[in-house]
Amino acid sequence: MQKFDVIIAGSGACGGWACMALAQNGFKVALVEAGSHIEPFRDFHHQWPYQLPFRGAGQPGYLRRYHRGATEYNYRIMIDDADNPYTTPPDKPFRWLRSRVLGGRTLHWSRASDRFSDLEFKAASRDGYGEDWPISYADIAPYYDRVERFIGVSAAPANLPQFPDGVFLAPMPLNCAETIFSAAAQKIGFPATPRRVAQLTRTWNNRPPCHYCGNCVNGCDVGAMFSTVSTTLPPALKTGNVTLLCDSVVSHVLMNKENRASGVRYVERYTNRSVEIGASVVVLAGSSLENTRLLLNSANGGLANSSGVLGKYLMDQIGGADVTGFLPPLKDTPIRNDDGKAGGLYIPNFTNIGPKPGSSGFIRGYAMSASGGAALFPAFASGLAGFGSSYKKQVNLLYPAAARVWLSGGEMLPRKDNFVELDANVRDKWGIPVLKITCTHCDNDRRLYNDFFARAQELFRAARGEIVDAKPYLSPPGSLIHEVGTSRMGNDAKTSVLNSFCQTHDIPNLFVFGGGCFVTTGDKHPTLTMMALTARGCDLLVDLARKGDMA
Amino acid sequence: MTRRNAGWAILKAASAAGGAAFFAHWLKAVQPVTSAHGHESHVQAPPDPHNWEAYKPQFFSAEDFHMLDLVTATLIPSDDTPGAHDACVAHFIDFVVYAAAEYAPDMQAQWRRAMAYLRGEQFVTMSEEQRVALLERISEPERDASKRNPGYKHYALIKDMTVHAFYTSRIGLVDVLKYQGLAYLTEFPGCSHPEHEKV
Repeated sequence: MQKFDVIIAGSGACGGWACMALAQNGFKVALVEAGSHIEPFRDFHHQWPYQLPFRGAGQPGYLRRYHRGATEYNYRIMIDDADNPYTTPPDKPFRWLRSRVLGGRTLHWSRASDRFSDLEFKAASRDGYGEDWPISYADIAPYYDRVERFIGVSAAPANLPQFPDGVFLAPMPLNCAETIFSAAAQKIGFPATPRRVAQLTRTWNNRPPCHYCGNCVNGCDVGAMFSTVSTTLPPALKTGNVTLLCDSVVSHVLMNKENRASGVRYVERYTNRSVEIGASVVVLAGSSLENTRLLLNSANGGLANSSGVLGKYLMDQIGGADVTGFLPPLKDTPIRNDDGKAGGLYIPNFTNIGPKPGSSGFIRGYAMSASGGAALFPAFASGLAGFGSSYKKQVNLLYPAAARVWLSGGEMLPRKDNFVELDANVRDKWGIPVLKITCTHCDNDRRLYNDFFARAQELFRAARGEIVDAKPYLSPPGSLIHEVGTSRMGNDAKTSVLNSFCQTHDIPNLFVFGGGCFVTTGDKHPTLTMMALTARGCDLLVDLARKGDMA
Repeated sequence: MTRRNAGWAILKAASAAGGAAFFAHWLKAVQPVTSAHGHESHVQAPPDPHNWEAYKPQFFSAEDFHMLDLVTATLIPSDDTPGAHDACVAHFIDFVVYAAAEYAPDMQAQWRRAMAYLRGEQFVTMSEEQRVALLERISEPERDASKRNPGYKHYALIKDMTVHAFYTSRIGLVDVLKYQGLAYLTEFPGCSHPEHEKV
């Protein structure tokens, strides 16, 4: 059996960081990725809709086997749901958008990089619901610094207690629609700042700056946006300590007689051959729910599950219908490059941050985003009534004025009855039992969404915008692609799976990086926090290994 | 996810480089260029790689294809800017609907019904005014949700695909909408209008 110091299962934001951090500390690392290898400079390039056979929509019906969100531009870096199914109770839909490819979802993520504040880490102490995180902002701040400094986050300091500032590159300028929304926000007292994105505005760590093509979610062709393949993997590979195993679907964590993890078993994607490799430390970094699935599949009742909490407290952030319309001052104006930076204006949470949380009729908070202008496709045109020359002129006139306000993420309350388990009856293409996901919203979640919808309309009206589409609709959980929880962290091994370093309470040489450890969703985008927690966990891992505690 | 892309109506219904040479290339890329239709654009949009003019319809009969070309040209006419006929919208629709055989045969059935409906209305032999009047009539539910019309579903199908086909064509996107993105720029051209800084 091939032996390594560390096996990392998964190459997304956290797997990539762990790989870099551990390889640079001299560990021999096997990075095991279920999907295919990808080279951004070879595989990603600008694509105009008319260059594609089906102009972005794919052969009719073909993309049905992929998750919503997959397009003809990017389905190769999304997941094939037919090969990788999951189940839900029939009346409880859950949308689970995954990627199986080197770099995972970092290849097409929305790049938003926010810091949690103590209003989130210690929310339970403030409003009495659920549990606090076992860490505070002070514990994680140095790791936020470290991650931001390395990946490059373009942002403007906002000086808001609920939205901590960090180590920033220059922000991207606002486009016209965002400038108008920013003025509107100021008028009605909403905080507003350019969306913080892991997207370079200058040359940084051997990566070129953004060239404002707006093609981000289809894969950045120069590596200006953070992804594993552009940012963390090159320095990891440079150490010579990394063995990259793509097309290798991990099915089990292997254990020895001393109750220590001893390696993993994986299935070769194309040969179906089962292979075992060994290591002194096993790191799971295959996404919140894939990590949990692996633990559930590795032992009866779930590995590292003495607490019985594994799989419980699943959360996604709350999302739903946008408010869309037009900004009259932009009608019939010369067309500008409006969608080249794909960022937007960010309205950080401003609810329940005062001394009386819950006085607004719900607890916790949410953040909004706003943007607009001429896009690669005039999405409003299909819904615009009429035809003929007048219709065509109307499309041109409205094209630069299209605008929308959307929910970036609202905090969904952690509840034990939102959970994942193995479905004994369904297996994926490699014979691994799939997850059955049970997740619903509670009343607080609905009240929070309704408050967003009212406030979004308020912002739109303050911008003197014409609202065209304003039908509230709370999307099924999973839709925000911020699914977290199911292996939460805590100080008490009886009520949590991981300690605050993402190390399992039960098995000291087994670490779980990603969103699984989240105690609450907060109202921020989760990736930066996952990466900072990974950096923190890796520091402990290195320390323990040097002291001989990992042998 | 993004709002830059569009899906098929049928789906909706169902459910490190670096260095001076590298940057020089970007700068060159933002020089104004003149498009085939004479409009100056800062976007260096590549040509459409498909030779649509030479495309032979595979799904629609010659008669239906002619009718489809007429109806798309009525929806998005050639006026002071190019329209659906210039952008070979009917050719593209034929290609898409033909390709639906494998995974979305229901889409083909919808288009057969839409063509049969227009044939029944004698669309081809109508005058231009009559065609406009027919489309006005069957599209009434689009303007007034309380109205019903048996032709509306056919209108909606054809319009949705025509809009998608036209505004994703090079002519629709670059020449008519004058889209400025998908470029290589050294800096993002942010808002430079003081009047947008207050509302």
